[in-house]
Amino acid sequence: MSAWREANGESDSSSFATLILGMGNPLRGDDGVGCCMVEELMHLELPHGVHVLDGGAGGLGLLNLMEGWKRVVIVDAAEMGREPGEFVRFTPADVRLASAPDRFSLHHAGLSEVLALANALDRTLPEMVIFGVQPASVGWGEGLSPAVEAALPALIAAVLKEAT
Amino acid sequence: MTTLKIDVHHVTRVEGHGDIVVDTRNGEIKECRFEVVEAPRFFEAFVRGRPYHELSHITSRICGICSVGHATTSLRATEKALGVEPPEQTMLLRKLNFHGEIIDSHVLHTYYLVAPDFFGVGSVIPLAATHREVVERALRIKKLSGDLCAMIGGRHTHPVAMAVGCFTHTPTAGELREMQARLVDARADMDETVALFATLPWPEFERETEYVSLKKDDEYAFIDGTVVTTDGFSYPIEDYRDVTNEECVPFSTAKWTHHNRESYMVGALARVNNNFDQLHPRAQEAAGKLGLKPICYNPFLNSAAQVVEMVHCVEDSIRIIDELLTRGIQPEQIPEIKVQAGEGVGSCDVPRGILFHNYVYDEDGICVKANCIIPTNQNMANLNHDMQALVPQIMDKPQDEIRLMLEMLVRAYDPCISCSAHFLTVKFV
Repeated sequence: MSAWREANGESDSSSFATLILGMGNPLRGDDGVGCCMVEELMHLELPHGVHVLDGGAGGLGLLNLMEGWKRVVIVDAAEMGREPGEFVRFTPADVRLASAPDRFSLHHAGLSEVLALANALDRTLPEMVIFGVQPASVGWGEGLSPAVEAALPALIAAVLKEAT
Repeated sequence: MTTLKIDVHHVTRVEGHGDIVVDTRNGEIKECRFEVVEAPRFFEAFVRGRPYHELSHITSRICGICSVGHATTSLRATEKALGVEPPEQTMLLRKLNFHGEIIDSHVLHTYYLVAPDFFGVGSVIPLAATHREVVERALRIKKLSGDLCAMIGGRHTHPVAMAVGCFTHTPTAGELREMQARLVDARADMDETVALFATLPWPEFERETEYVSLKKDDEYAFIDGTVVTTDGFSYPIEDYRDVTNEECVPFSTAKWTHHNRESYMVGALARVNNNFDQLHPRAQEAAGKLGLKPICYNPFLNSAAQVVEMVHCVEDSIRIIDELLTRGIQPEQIPEIKVQAGEGVGSCDVPRGILFHNYVYDEDGICVKANCIIPTNQNMANLNHDMQALVPQIMDKPQDEIRLMLEMLVRAYDPCISCSAHFLTVKFV
């Protein structure tokens, strides 16, 4: 049980707990879509056993954040060559995340490195589902693009459905 | 005489993007530089028009590695502008959170980004196969520091509990005791870390330069103090512009800085060089084993200085928790803040070096002007001068070796060039 959950008075130590983890940098436009979603979810009453966390630009810290959960639903901006705002549900087995082992930069592809590292160390990660959201822009600047903003309600519904 | 052309786009294992360009003909350097292709920009645009209590949260998002550093620096700037003096417990908790981030950042850099060079592998992933215990140890230390940050700041990255003049959440005595026990246990990992890095053959390269850091009378400085340099200068934090002397250079989006010489260096090595006597005795002992003595002019040893600081921060965290437990940890009150117009400068020595935030507030506590100078920008000129001094010394070596050496030099500075977007690039299979 992480200090964060204890700090928030959440002592649900059930191994069935699900973490919804929003990733990204809200100072970089649509890259912050995961954080914006967390912000919205904070205002909702979540089903029992479902927790939500803004992982920000945590990079390799992801490994620690994912430990101890039964399931993790990650929401992050993803370049998939689709229309801005389009989101896709996938699992690590469905995709190839760009980043070869010799190009190891911790901000840019935290998730692929975490998966590779966990694999190299034979560590078991929680069951993982990823919602990739196609960004319109990830330049410096706050706020989501209209296309991604418009997709938020459907994204939240899909994420909650996945988590319960 | 050799002719050499090296163009490394986006140096790997550096936080962000940077390119190395070297071009020599018949032994003469035509071009040799480290280019920054992206830097945190538009800082002022993010904070202008925003109320004082939001600034630390906004600025903590600049960087996923130094989020506590940015938040703390931002809070100090705001507190000085509004005349808020945080109570002692708040400052102790901030130091503890800060130590957590220093350990977190340094373990990442030394183990994941620097060590693979010495093991002759491209990254920490193949290292996990050949030196599993090394990678497991790094992960243990990273977990400890992440949990320390989460316990105080309320979140592993981007602290939520830090506020102007207080913490909105405090750890319990039980949590502090449990963390302290884990820190005591971590001494074994620290010893192993020092032993490991003491065996690494640091490249032999020296170039005299000026080292700039914070300094305090009563402790190894990370938060507040005065700005000092190894050339004997000392400035109040408010006079930071007299130190940084920022200027634009044509090939980089980052401004360069210089003080008494053509460039200066900030970061762990600068801190150790300026404040060696204030390191914990165990950290001083570690420095001895790593061959680090002030004033050290070998930039590659910045990584060794980071190992020394990890030892210091583990020891000092144990001490701070003792102090908090002796005092008795209390819930904190949100202070009454008299909103007024004013200006404040905050400075912290964050993992990569000295950081400045400068805000001007109007009478409603709205930010009307802001400036931020990050460590990586301050190191850019010095790194380039090092590169220009290093290339002639290694020009006769095979090109791959030169390339690796230059990449290692860049990595030694631990540059954080675009703490930034980290979105996934996905191909469906």
